[in-house]
Amino acid sequence: MKYLKYMNQLLIFIFLTLIIGISIGPFLWVFFSSFKGNSEILSSVSGFPNGLKLKNYITAFQMAPLARFYINSIIVAIGGTLLNLVLLSMAAYAMARFDFKGKNSLKLLLSMALLVPGAALLQPLYITVKTTGLYDSLFGLVIVYAGFGLPTTLYIMMSYFLTLPKELEESAYLDGASFVNTFVKIILPVAKPAFSTAGVLQFLLCWNEFQFALTLTTGNNNRTLPLALYYFKSSFASDYGAMFAATVLVTIPSIIVYIALQEHVVSGLAAGSVKG
Amino acid sequence: MSHNKKWIVLFLLPAIILFSFVYAISLIVLIGTSFTDWSIGSSIHFVGIKNYIDLLRTPDFIKSILNTLIWIVLQSTIHIGIGVIFALILARKKWYFKMARTAFMIPNIISSAALGMLFLCVFNPQFGAVNNLIRLFGVKNFSHNWFMDPRTSFITVTLTWLPFAAVVAILILAEMASVDEGIYEAAKVDGASEFQTNIYVTLPMMKNIIGTATVLAATSMLQKLDIIMITTSGGPGNRTLNMPMFIYKTALSQNNFSLANTAGVYLIALGLISVVLINKIYGMGKSDV
Repeated sequence: MKYLKYMNQLLIFIFLTLIIGISIGPFLWVFFSSFKGNSEILSSVSGFPNGLKLKNYITAFQMAPLARFYINSIIVAIGGTLLNLVLLSMAAYAMARFDFKGKNSLKLLLSMALLVPGAALLQPLYITVKTTGLYDSLFGLVIVYAGFGLPTTLYIMMSYFLTLPKELEESAYLDGASFVNTFVKIILPVAKPAFSTAGVLQFLLCWNEFQFALTLTTGNNNRTLPLALYYFKSSFASDYGAMFAATVLVTIPSIIVYIALQEHVVSGLAAGSVKG
Repeated sequence: MSHNKKWIVLFLLPAIILFSFVYAISLIVLIGTSFTDWSIGSSIHFVGIKNYIDLLRTPDFIKSILNTLIWIVLQSTIHIGIGVIFALILARKKWYFKMARTAFMIPNIISSAALGMLFLCVFNPQFGAVNNLIRLFGVKNFSHNWFMDPRTSFITVTLTWLPFAAVVAILILAEMASVDEGIYEAAKVDGASEFQTNIYVTLPMMKNIIGTATVLAATSMLQKLDIIMITTSGGPGNRTLNMPMFIYKTALSQNNFSLANTAGVYLIALGLISVVLINKIYGMGKSDV
């Protein structure tokens, strides 16, 4: 019995070590290599015989307009998150609180968004964005990303509004508050948890998105950070250190946001998936 | 509260416009043009179901369906299995609970493009960590191009997502947290070992959430484009070509819009079939009580 228990512990230890190793190993290896010179990378020496080098980071910023991409990514992520939260909290409130004709059909229609893989939308969205004059603009990306997060945010918001007691608004109405006033002054302040949960997920979606940023922009002016890796893969090919540094620069913000707001991400994932 | 009607409409309208812009118009364009011969700079004619038949005769497309299917099956089984085991281990809330969960989640929250780049570096034939390790353990001058060698490209691409089942684990852990502790204690009193409790008590209660996680994992395989573009672009040949990659190439490299959109309709159909099938297998939607 005791033998079996140790065996069990050993298997768990091996499984966890392996899984965690491949989860953070690649990032850590690239992170440490990003402080090495090209020759050290190629000869795969361990440690830092020539000291930590920040040179790779400077080179990365010189080789690709990373600063521009950073600013674009920040604008798109904040814009896409705000637009998504504002529009969908309004819709979720109306749908959670009031009965109207066609409500169920509307719910069904909006949840169809879950069944459409992004790749199927590649060409049609490209055409829509182009004809509306939003091609190669950050605003175009903001709208598209706000739409991609529609089902998740709507679901998180609606379930949260449904948990709020109706008395909350009734007393406000009795005091003569208007519809909009009630929503802004009474509902929004208590809905903070829903906003942070949906907001983190939406922010990560906008920050990380690649394929539509690729198809809906052209030229360096409106490209976002994940594209930097794709477009400069070949120019970085001769300078591995700079390539490592660029990869770290793209990855770090997501990791920081996740670690800081971890509990929200976790509860958001759990809430957002229990649709069916 | 009938004066609220105006406000209800005004509150719903922006979201409906957003939905129309991103989804509704796209779906109409997608399905409508799949029956035409639309490509860049030419006039459009109705061609019936010609595109649907042509695609089934295109070897690259068939290969892309097969690869997508294999990845769906692998993700629905091995990926889910890894997530379930991880959740069962973490459910014991040992000291490493939070640390392990955070670490496991990292590949899921960074950009797929960046994840692809990380693996491209790790598997690099010259300086990659994998080849370095193999050289360290004795195989002198070992050099293998993991991503571009036809023998290993498929498995190497698969490895960039198959093990990272943190989302599956988080879903199951959340569901486990809602289970009445008394059930576990009853099992303990009855003399069940931890392993027996997991198999006979916990897992059956997790059936629905595992089904939901399987749907998510399977449908995520219909979206994999960025990581493939960064690592292999579907190559060598069509070894790692999946449906999204096929659509991307057809639409944006060959500018054959109607054919790409027909492939898009197939992609949506495959998604619907997978969802229905997985629901059937797990008997979801039916109440057990």
